[in-house]
Amino acid sequence: MSEAVIQINHLGKSFGKNEVLKDINFSVNKGEVVCIIGSSGSGKSTLLRCVNLLETPTYGEILYHGKNIQHSDQPVSKYRTKVGMVFQQFNLFNNMNVLNNCVVGQMKVLGRKRADAEERAKYFLDKVGMLQFVNAKPRQISGGQKQRVAIARALSMDPEVLLFDEPTSALDPEMVGEVLSVMKTLAGTGLTMMIVTHEMAFARDVAHRVCFMDEGVIVEEDSPQVIFGCPKHERTRQFLTRVLG
Amino acid sequence: MPDTFFGWVWFMFIKYLPLFLQGAGTTILIAVVGTVAGFIIGTLVAIVRTIPMHKKDHIVKKIVLKIARGILAAYVELFRATPMMVQAVLIYYGSLQYFGIDMPALLAGIVVVSINTGAYMAEIVRGGIISIDVGQTEGALSIGMTHWQTMLHVIMPQALRNIMPSIGNEFVINIKDSSVLSVISVTELFFMAKSSAGTYYKFFEAFVIACIIYFVINFTITRILLKIERKMDGPDSYVLGSQNMTAEEMKLILNKSIEGKK
Repeated sequence: MSEAVIQINHLGKSFGKNEVLKDINFSVNKGEVVCIIGSSGSGKSTLLRCVNLLETPTYGEILYHGKNIQHSDQPVSKYRTKVGMVFQQFNLFNNMNVLNNCVVGQMKVLGRKRADAEERAKYFLDKVGMLQFVNAKPRQISGGQKQRVAIARALSMDPEVLLFDEPTSALDPEMVGEVLSVMKTLAGTGLTMMIVTHEMAFARDVAHRVCFMDEGVIVEEDSPQVIFGCPKHERTRQFLTRVLG
Repeated sequence: MPDTFFGWVWFMFIKYLPLFLQGAGTTILIAVVGTVAGFIIGTLVAIVRTIPMHKKDHIVKKIVLKIARGILAAYVELFRATPMMVQAVLIYYGSLQYFGIDMPALLAGIVVVSINTGAYMAEIVRGGIISIDVGQTEGALSIGMTHWQTMLHVIMPQALRNIMPSIGNEFVINIKDSSVLSVISVTELFFMAKSSAGTYYKFFEAFVIACIIYFVINFTITRILLKIERKMDGPDSYVLGSQNMTAEEMKLILNKSIEGKK
């Protein structure tokens, strides 16, 4: 068993009376690619958002390398630089061009010099095939391109873990492929990834482990072969029959 | 003596040109300083009023924030709900009568316009901040920015762009509404027009001139603001680089897009 980068213990989250996550226990190991699947409203995204504290858990704890991130002497923002996030709606900074989107965090948060930051940004923009677009504004490029820039932005911060919150759900079908192929390449580099997705084929091919969530609990987690081949739980089976047709 | 209407307008204009120019200058000075100061006040107020408060925050922070918000809310309500003319009289005469501060009328005028504009700007800026999609904040937080960094580098630049038309409105309103400061004898355009009208008893002619000057000032200002807005939007198109360009080529296309803005 390799080292757990993120360990979630008895985590719960309620919005008012609505209990979205119920006693979640879960961990992600170094270099592991974990896909979380499940129907809409099952709590997948909320779980992911709890991991980098965009949502504050109602109870339970989240450990990063064994340290509770909510009771750390370091500010949350420090932790977030280590755990990057890619959003469904991209969330690129609309007031900056592609290059500056990838540079601003490095300079303001990590304190890198502009030249170094640009170098790093260009390296990753090249990786995601967006180097040509350095001076385009987010409104001038397509959804798939935006998402690739968002991935480059997250990578420029040299995170240890990257969280993906349905990164292809807001994209036209023809653009899904370009983003997934970037993610596939990333998975091959040994980056730790936690991916909430509806792309079953991607989960099957790329994930080391697949988690099925339903109604705020993790129903089943196992290798993709088991989840997609012979799931143990009836609910998993029903879900997969529904989405795979 | 001229015997036509236009003759009189021209006669008054030439005769009292220095007066009108000085008045226009004072009006512009009050409006510019008042709008800029008002914007700064408004931004600070809006930022304090939008600081997120969490359940788990320290009790002292909560109390201080609550009190500050109460005071700022009172300020905004008070100054929006009373006429600027009344505020001018209260501040100008009140500060002398009860606090022994003998302010020059111009200074009192600028103070009144600034504070008054600040109250409106606070709401304008607050509207600008909350109009920015929450995803922008989340994007900034997710790469480790603090609340202030997020505000400074991501939210405010976008909010500022969105509220530019409203700032322009405030500016134009200040040009016009500074005329109420004549009540505390600030020598702005309205006051000067009134003074110049007295000698020949030509009120209509004097105020036609004032009217034209107000219009020219405001029309010029709105054109300039429109230009600034366009500049903030940046170029409509971008220069495409090649996938394997050198650092020099990269610099070149980045510079090109900056030139495009001009």
